[in-house]
Amino acid sequence: MRTTLPLAVAFITGVVFVITFFLNEESAIVGGISKQLLDWLIIIGGFTLLLGVVSILRVSWQSVERRKEDWIYKLITILSVLVMAIPGLLPESWSSLFGRQEGSIYDWLFLNLQAPMMATMFATLAFYIASAAYRAFRARTAEATILLVTATLVMLWRVPMGEAFLNLFSEEIPGLINRYIMGGVNLAVQRGIIIGAALGAAAMSLRIILGIERTYMGKS
Amino acid sequence: MSGIEILQIWIIAFFTLALFSFLYKDNPFYRLAENIFAGLTTGYQVSLIWDTVIIQKLWDPMMGGQWWLFLPGLLGLMMFSRFSPKISWMSRVPLAVVMGITAGIFLTTQLHGFVLPQMQATMNTFVTAKGFADYFLASLIAVGVISTMIYFYFSHEHVGVLGVTAKLGIWFIMISFGAHFGYTVMGRVSLLIGRTQFLIEDWIGTFSYIL
Amino acid sequence: MTIWERFDNMDRRWVYLMVALAVIIPFLVPMKFDISITPEVQSFYDAVDNLPDSCTVMLVFDYYPSTAAECEPMAIVAAHHLFRKDCKIITLSNIPYGGPSMAETVTRAIAKEYDKKYGEDFVNLGFKYGPIAVLKGMGISIESIFPTDNSGTPLAELPMMDSVTNYEQVSFIFEIADNATADYWISIVNAGYGVPMGVGCTAVMAPKFYAFLGANQIVGLLGGMKGAAEYEILIGKPGTAYRGMDVQSMVHFVIIALVIIGNIGFFVTKRRNRKKSA
Repeated sequence: MRTTLPLAVAFITGVVFVITFFLNEESAIVGGISKQLLDWLIIIGGFTLLLGVVSILRVSWQSVERRKEDWIYKLITILSVLVMAIPGLLPESWSSLFGRQEGSIYDWLFLNLQAPMMATMFATLAFYIASAAYRAFRARTAEATILLVTATLVMLWRVPMGEAFLNLFSEEIPGLINRYIMGGVNLAVQRGIIIGAALGAAAMSLRIILGIERTYMGKS
Repeated sequence: MSGIEILQIWIIAFFTLALFSFLYKDNPFYRLAENIFAGLTTGYQVSLIWDTVIIQKLWDPMMGGQWWLFLPGLLGLMMFSRFSPKISWMSRVPLAVVMGITAGIFLTTQLHGFVLPQMQATMNTFVTAKGFADYFLASLIAVGVISTMIYFYFSHEHVGVLGVTAKLGIWFIMISFGAHFGYTVMGRVSLLIGRTQFLIEDWIGTFSYIL
Repeated sequence: MTIWERFDNMDRRWVYLMVALAVIIPFLVPMKFDISITPEVQSFYDAVDNLPDSCTVMLVFDYYPSTAAECEPMAIVAAHHLFRKDCKIITLSNIPYGGPSMAETVTRAIAKEYDKKYGEDFVNLGFKYGPIAVLKGMGISIESIFPTDNSGTPLAELPMMDSVTNYEQVSFIFEIADNATADYWISIVNAGYGVPMGVGCTAVMAPKFYAFLGANQIVGLLGGMKGAAEYEILIGKPGTAYRGMDVQSMVHFVIIALVIIGNIGFFVTKRRNRKKSA
């Protein structure tokens, strides 16, 4: 029961979508079944996201309760969750500050706190990539030299000042970089990776449908 | 500019600078901003999922007569059994639904959407080629695709012809990764530009109203 | 300690300071270099420009606020281009953070300039969880996946959606992404339903999409801020991406200079060590 039921469910749902791929999706039966199962996927997916939220709150609360190191920050996390979630959950009909529409607390917090903070978090990566390039980008081997030279050429090509610099040597260079490095060698490698990864994903999908791949179920 | 707008900009500037302060070293302002950010991001999801999924896709249709939707609802609730080791096995069923549907869609779309068109394009480049430059490019692509795939083919030892092709694959891959790095620099700098633009144009811009 | 060894042991914070200065200086002293148009952006522009007037286009906001600096200029310029052509715009997002809000802000602001009305000329479907289910499901019926728009109005009450049932009525999809959802749009929607697609993505993702461009799975590609800047120039509305290219130039040159200095130091030190050991 604990193993057979999930395996049977994965098999049936998987086979349904493999079959519907070859049939007319607009027909009542095929379309109806696909539509229902896709709704199921969205609903279960929504719950899994909420599971993640509960998990974060649980772990944070445990730290607060046991007064672990930095518990005060965990308390701030919990309070922030509540400050963002509660006004968003309350109905708009109570106040224009509630709900998720423009002008609500939820919207204000998103635009003025969450979005800029998320952008700042990622903006710091610019500093790290510069530092990493300075420390680790060394022409130690032939392969590393190829990587370094290509990176430098592409960096020059992608910015106007760099392009002007390349044009000093020949106005053909930017076009050649685009055609032979990006649209030639890079395209070929990406294509090789895409084909390989897609074959891998298809094989893994088949293993899941046939019940050979069971790691998603955890330990038995 | 109104007082509220100025306050708003200063709040954003405070958190922006607090997060940037980590570049110097870890400090309480950074930790404060980091945890507020984590909390707000989590809270954002709660309201969004509640409204767009639980209410719009589950509750409203159920109340509208689609009673059978209690099944995915129940399956969704079963995910929470993961918190109790005794009944955590129950979460396997909804997971199996997710895995089964995704696998069913992936099995066909990965082949139909990626493998076939990409293989077809590799061959078509020769068909549509006109002149030496095009044939050279088509050959470059064909050799690159094959050698890259052989490099990632680990089931046989890379010796002999396989070894030479794999070595060629490494060179191709290094060029592509170099190009990737060149692009990545641009991506990371773009994000920094956004924040700098805010600090210089918006935040420092408020000084003229305050002073 | 030689100057090269000093460079080698330089505190990383000096590197950070150099990057910070390279970002700030061009804001104060603009350089204004010419920006050339690459074939992939030109073909994107041509594809949108050749769409029949008043057709329906999906403008997909699949990026997080973290990459808005890179992706939002693409969304803004595309909205200008599409409204100018009187196209009907459907916006949606597969991103659980901010996608619908960003779609709302961008389209509403630009719609005002062209006197376009919500519900008649553009609709924001908002967000639903699970890109695979959403993309596959919209092939059957958009309304089954999005029973209401982002603000809760049933689709049946929006006149624009009367004539749109599924992908069959959509002439073009412009996917702006900073993550793998762009792959799903290509493998599920473009391959499965044949809707022409253009992709605007972060610079980090752009090299991968040359493979799709080469296979004609996408008609054009806007790669990062440079792609957005080129598109801004093509439609004659230089904006934040165009302005950002000065900073990009400066920072790229700083990084190239750092790499060169690092390598000279590496070779000088290596040579000296070899001499010592000999």
